[in-house]
Amino acid sequence: MTLTSKDIRHFLSEYKIVALLIVIALIWALFGVLTYTPETQTSEFLTSRNFSNLLRQMSITGMLASAMVFVIVSGEIDLSIGSLLGMVGGVAAILDVTYGWPLAGTIAVCLLLGVASSCLVGYLSAYQGIPTFIVTLGGMLVFRGIVLGLTGGTTIAPVSPEIKYIGQGYLPSVVGDIVAVAVFAILVLIAMRTRAGRIKHDLPVPSMAKEVGKLAAFGAIIVAFVLNLNNYHGVPVPVLILLVILGVFTVIGDMTVFGRRIYAVGSNLEATRMSGVNVAKVKLMVFGLMGLMCALAGLATTARLAAGTPSAGTGAELDAIASCFIGGTSMRGGVGTVGGALVGATIMASLDNGMSMLGVDTFWQQIVKGVILVFAVWMDIVSSGTRR
Amino acid sequence: MSEYILEMHDITKEFSGVKAIEGINLKVRAGECVGLCGENGAGKSTLMKVLSAVYPHGTWEGTITWDGKELKAGSIRETEEAGIVIIHQELMMVPHLSVAENIFLGSELTTAGGFMDYPRMNARAAELMAMLKMPDINVAQKVSAYSGGKQQLVEIAKALNKNARLLILDEPTSALTASETRILLDIVKELKAKGMACVYISHKLDEVAEIADTVTVIRDGTHIGTAPMAELDTGKIISMMVGREMKNLFPREAHDIGEVVFEARNITCWDATNPERKVVNNISFELRKGEILGVAGLVGAGRTEMVSTLFGCYPGLYEAEVILEGKKLKIREPIDAVRNGICMVPEDRKRQGIVPLMGVGHNITMSVLPRFITGGLIDAEAEMAQIQHEILRMKVKTAQPLLPIASLSGGNQQKAVVAKMLLPEPKVLILDEPTRGIDVGAKYEIYKLIFELAKQGVAILMVSSELPEVLGISDRVLVVGEGQLRGNFINDGLTQETVLAAAIGKPVTAAA
Repeated sequence: MTLTSKDIRHFLSEYKIVALLIVIALIWALFGVLTYTPETQTSEFLTSRNFSNLLRQMSITGMLASAMVFVIVSGEIDLSIGSLLGMVGGVAAILDVTYGWPLAGTIAVCLLLGVASSCLVGYLSAYQGIPTFIVTLGGMLVFRGIVLGLTGGTTIAPVSPEIKYIGQGYLPSVVGDIVAVAVFAILVLIAMRTRAGRIKHDLPVPSMAKEVGKLAAFGAIIVAFVLNLNNYHGVPVPVLILLVILGVFTVIGDMTVFGRRIYAVGSNLEATRMSGVNVAKVKLMVFGLMGLMCALAGLATTARLAAGTPSAGTGAELDAIASCFIGGTSMRGGVGTVGGALVGATIMASLDNGMSMLGVDTFWQQIVKGVILVFAVWMDIVSSGTRR
Repeated sequence: MSEYILEMHDITKEFSGVKAIEGINLKVRAGECVGLCGENGAGKSTLMKVLSAVYPHGTWEGTITWDGKELKAGSIRETEEAGIVIIHQELMMVPHLSVAENIFLGSELTTAGGFMDYPRMNARAAELMAMLKMPDINVAQKVSAYSGGKQQLVEIAKALNKNARLLILDEPTSALTASETRILLDIVKELKAKGMACVYISHKLDEVAEIADTVTVIRDGTHIGTAPMAELDTGKIISMMVGREMKNLFPREAHDIGEVVFEARNITCWDATNPERKVVNNISFELRKGEILGVAGLVGAGRTEMVSTLFGCYPGLYEAEVILEGKKLKIREPIDAVRNGICMVPEDRKRQGIVPLMGVGHNITMSVLPRFITGGLIDAEAEMAQIQHEILRMKVKTAQPLLPIASLSGGNQQKAVVAKMLLPEPKVLILDEPTRGIDVGAKYEIYKLIFELAKQGVAILMVSSELPEVLGISDRVLVVGEGQLRGNFINDGLTQETVLAAAIGKPVTAAA
């Protein structure tokens, strides 16, 4: 059998994530070659240290993109997240530096603030009928205004070591190993549970060999991932947070009633409403989740910079939205995965990281990223055959 | 040159290895109307898409001879230039443009400076509308100001303006009232007399019988037969379409009618865009356990508006008192209705019924998803077991339970939507045009289901524009006209004439 372009197209539209991973591999290979130094026989880009850096760089965009996927899938958009991140980050710095609050208190207030702010945005849209583009554009200005007012336009530093740990800390390698084992155990458990359930309800069960093979592949990825990071300082804390978010959000998207309804609302709001679903509540909850992620990203940003700056998070909404679209989320709603968005964020971060390493001017970096965004979505349209 | 203006010979079209149509022939003479019949999914639309080059030459096998020469069109534009124009089932008008602008959309007349030449376009449009016996249409008015029937005629004017010599009408009357259908059929006849060739696709076989000179029937993508209409009747066409004799279209079954379970009092709704106008004016009725209550009336009479207030989905202002099992209900949103045991299968399947990107199964379980929660998560296996049960029960034809519902035929989509609305176990089931645009086989299954539900004691309220269906199914018939209740008949020897007379508002005379 020969592979025709049609077969390949079919495969890639079916397994979008595979196509995206191939793109990442190509980008990494390219930068690997470009940063190769013959004397030391190593590529600067393909080191554990850089791998660790790259993941840390993408973790904040990743947090935002994880929730943005749900916002876009539900057929909405949120432009206010960069400003909200800045606002929460500023408040975190003020509580920590100016008032010397304990970490737990700061975190609690920040999470609450993020959720409440986004819920207000969601309420105005879902219950009062103002288009999210407008509400969140307004929110973008309001939140940024508030952070400027609160900080007086100055940088607030230095933050306490506890808060810094969130953005700059590393897990000891033992803990990293334990996490890896735990994750693998959870995957095995889920596979077993699904299998037992299918047998119970007389549904066809995939062959044992296939299942074991799949788990082994996941195991290999986890091992490679953790070993690589342990090779440097260990798993960075923000990366761990992001991985937890990836897991939790994937479960929300695939396995909960709320998740199913996010996709239904985005695919056909009217039909979902006519099925007896409270669609406004679904949208409100999606925004609540977005606010929670803004708060986490805000804390992580302040921790990473070790300071609260009034300009933190400027333009972050665009990076998050771009990551979603590169990762296969549909502009029209109803389609998209958290995993895809994180792969999208990785692509963006790899480009940033690689080009910076090569000393490419920032203006070129922006041009390249813009082109890649448009190109990725174009590829998506061509491969899924929806071009008119 | 042959006597045929169009000859499609041995047409085969595959979709990724599956033959959608195979070896189909279709011939049309100038001045002839060919009726194309077949169940949904039989391949009628595919064949017409081949003809109109939606699927360009080379993506299918066979030959098309047009006007004596082989046609190798690569796009719709080319076939339209050759004189083949298709008028789709759904109206393809731009609502905010004027009638004339719609007619000239894509072939605008311009002045020397490149500006729109409105005087010339309006004059030509008025001429065309006069030709279609619609001289009172203001061609400078927005097209949305006119009813669906008139818009359909604007579509035909647009086709005439393109110098069409073959008109393909795909279910042109599915959204029209009886009188609008009449006008359309007369106009098609007149065009035919002037030498226009026509392909008429419709599920309404009475129309086909009236207008077609020849009928071609296809089933499961293959050519079943072609015969002059003079040798056929609707019964024969149906049996060719389904491959079996359909003696009884309505599988009536005896069912007990119990006490009153549901009452709707003083339903009044105001037009969403024009709050001065009452669309439904003070209608009250009651519904008994196990009763099938049909709601008849002309399109635009206010039937859909009336039932949507009962389900909490009417978009404008409304008042209605709803009493279920002696309890007064407050229904503001569909969720309130579903929770209280009132479910509705909406009229517009595409817009209100299906979530297109989701799987058939996930569509079916949508209303009752929280039932499958264990430990905070959906028990996917329990859900799948239920899905498979429903698919089997409703005879939904799908390759896989989680195939996106949009890829199914209309009839199977409708079965899935009905299944979705049955899972909450409603006491009152509202069906708004439950068989619109679906094939004979699927219709039959839905009728059977309606009787089965009535036997189980579900009270059923069915809105339908097809009078034979209302009379074939209902125990009692409400007739709505211009927003008012014009009749409430026990269906015992009730005739179409009586119902229609009530709907139009003429006094019922026994001698009709």
